[in-house]
Amino acid sequence: MSVFKLDPEVYKRYKDEVLKLCNSFQKIDQPGLSDKQIAERLGLDERTVTEIRCVAERDCYSLDEWEKAIEFKRKATLEWSALALKRPDLKPE
Amino acid sequence: MADLPSGATTQLKTFALKSGATVCGVADAAAFNARAPEKQRPDDLLPGARSVVVVGGAQPREGDWAATSPWVMQTMGTTERIQGVGRRLAQYIESEFGYYALYVPPGTASGDTPFLSLMLAAELAGLGSKSLAGPVLNRDHGFMYWSAVITTAPFEADAAEENPACPAPACREMWDRDRTTPCLATCPGDNGGCLSGKLENGRAVRTFYDAARCNTRVHTHWVGGFQKVLEETLNEPDRDKRKMLLYGDFFTRSLWAITYSSTNIAQCFECMRVCPAAHGLKEMK
Amino acid sequence: MTLTEQVKAVGRKAGARVVGVAAVEAFREKVPEGYRPEDILPGARSVVVAGGDGPTAGAWRSPDNRVMEITGYDLRENVAVHAMCDFIEGTLSHHAIQAPSLPVHGHEPPMSMMHAAELAGLGTRSLAAHIILNPEYGLLYYAALITTLQLEPDQPLAEPACPHPGCAAMYKRIGTTPCLRVCPACLSGTVQDGRIQQSTYDREKCHSRAQTYGIGSFQKGLLQIVNEDDPARRRTMIHSDFFTKSIQSLGFFRDSIAQCFECMRVCPVGRKYRKLQ
Repeated sequence: MSVFKLDPEVYKRYKDEVLKLCNSFQKIDQPGLSDKQIAERLGLDERTVTEIRCVAERDCYSLDEWEKAIEFKRKATLEWSALALKRPDLKPE
Repeated sequence: MADLPSGATTQLKTFALKSGATVCGVADAAAFNARAPEKQRPDDLLPGARSVVVVGGAQPREGDWAATSPWVMQTMGTTERIQGVGRRLAQYIESEFGYYALYVPPGTASGDTPFLSLMLAAELAGLGSKSLAGPVLNRDHGFMYWSAVITTAPFEADAAEENPACPAPACREMWDRDRTTPCLATCPGDNGGCLSGKLENGRAVRTFYDAARCNTRVHTHWVGGFQKVLEETLNEPDRDKRKMLLYGDFFTRSLWAITYSSTNIAQCFECMRVCPAAHGLKEMK
Repeated sequence: MTLTEQVKAVGRKAGARVVGVAAVEAFREKVPEGYRPEDILPGARSVVVAGGDGPTAGAWRSPDNRVMEITGYDLRENVAVHAMCDFIEGTLSHHAIQAPSLPVHGHEPPMSMMHAAELAGLGTRSLAAHIILNPEYGLLYYAALITTLQLEPDQPLAEPACPHPGCAAMYKRIGTTPCLRVCPACLSGTVQDGRIQQSTYDREKCHSRAQTYGIGSFQKGLLQIVNEDDPARRRTMIHSDFFTKSIQSLGFFRDSIAQCFECMRVCPVGRKYRKLQ
C-alpha cells in the first residue's frame, strides 16, 4: 500500500467495522477507540486503519446529505426566527 | 518632507515591543540592493523606500521544542502572531510620523518567491545572522519568525550583527571531533536530507541546500502536496482509487493545513530542534 | 494571588470567558495512549482550559443562517491560551504549549478540547451533539495549554448542565427536548429523573451540517468533478455555488469552523445572555 493510496478492496472490507469502533457514531460517556486500538482489534497495522477511517468518514454519506443540510439549516433558522422574534412573515414555506 | 523628530527610531522600537515583538531593528533600504535580486528590493515594492523596519517574535516556546508530539509544531508553527505586529507598525508609522509605510506581505509573490526576503531583512536590520541550516538566528532568542515594513521614513539603521550565533561552541567542538554538526547530522544532504556544509575559520559555510526536498518537509501538507495528489487523481483511471486519494489521510490533512494556517506555516523543525543556538537563552524549570 | 489565580487572571484579561485547570493524571482514565497531555509535553503537570464566547447575541437573531456559518467563531479562547503560555514561560519559567487541537488524521485531533473542558470543571456533555455546556454561559468554545507548572486543579462539575430543568420537564411531558426535536437526524437520547439516561450522536451526518462548506464538501465535490466525463456538466459543477462556497471556506478559514447552530439555538442554557435590546 502506498502512503497515499489505500487498496479499495481493503477499504471495502473493513470500513464499516472501523466506523463502528471509532468516534463517528458516538454514545455519551463511551469514547471510541483510537486507530491503534482498532488496529489491534482487527489485526491490521495502525497506518491502514487511519487511512480506512479517513476515507470512511468522508464516504459515510453522499453529497445528497449536504443538500439536505443546506435546506435543514435554512428552514430551522427561519422557523426559530418566526417564533422567537415574533415574525410570522419569516416562517418558511 | 519634514525630518523625523528626534528619538523617533527609539519611539518606534518601543511601540513595536509593546505591540508584541520580541526584537525590532531597522535596515537601510539601499543595503538590499547588493544582495537581493531585482523585483525583491524595498524600492521595487515602495518607490522612495528609505528604511525597512523588521520585527521578530512569536517564536516556538521552550515547551514547543520539548514537546514529543510532532503535531504541536506542525500545526502551531505559524507566523500569524508576528504578522499582526507588522501590520500595526505600518499603520503606526503612517499615522504617527506621516511617512508612507508598506507592510511586506508574507507568503509568496509567485511560485516559491517571496515579495521580499524577510530573512535578509532580519540580517540587515542587525537582528540575526544566517545559520548553517538556513534560518536566521538571533543571538539571544534563537529561531524566530519575522515581519517587515518598508517605509519612506529615514529611521536610523542598525548595524549588522558582528558575532553570529552560528556556529555555537558545542557545534565547533562537534565539528573538530566528528567533522559534522547537529543540523548536518540530522538532515545530511548526501544521505536523503537537505543540507551539506562545513565550518571554516570559525564560520559556517553551507555548500549544498536542496530547497525542493526541504519544501517537502517544511510544507509536507500544503499546496505542493495538494497539487501532486490532484495530478495523480486525474491520471488514475480507477474510480475507487480516485476516492482513496481524495478522501485519504494525506489529502485531508493537506486541506486542513491550507485552510487553517493563515499565510505561513512550517511543518519541519528538525534542523532547529537540534541546534544549540536556536532555542534562546532562557533557563526553564 | 496564587499562581493558579494569576494564570487564570491573565487568561480572562486576554478574552476568555472562563478558565479552568485539570491535572494531567485526570486524562488517563478515558483518553487512549498517545492522546494524553503527557504524551504531548514530557513532564506535563497541568492543563489550563480557556472557554471563549461563541457568536454574538445579535448573530443568533439573524434569520439568515449563512451569517452564523461565517461569523460563528472568533478564536479568542486561543488568544487567551497564547497569553497564558507567554506568562507561564516568560514570567514563571515553566514549559507551556498550546495544546494541538486541529484535526490531523481525518476528524481526529491530537487532544480533545471537549474532554479537557469537562475535566477542568468548565462544563458537561449535553444531549446536543455532546457539546460541552457551561452551566452559566451555555455554548463556549474551548482551547487549552499544557504546562509543566503545577497548578491547583479544578474538579469536574458535580451537577450536569444538561438537561436544563425546562428540557427535563419537556421530556417528561412529550418525550423529547428542544435539541432532539430540532435535529433528529444527528441526535437521539432519553432523559430520566432529570438526567441524561442515554444519548447518541451521528458525527458524520453532523459534519455535513456543521461544516457544510469546507474540507469535506471540497473533497466530495472534487471527486464528483473528476469522475464526470462530460465537460459541460463538469464546468457547471466547478463553477457551482456549492463548490465555490467550498473553496471560499478553505480560503477564509473561519468560514469552515462551525456552520450549524440549530441544536444550540433552541438550547435554554445560557440563553439569558442572548437577550439584549
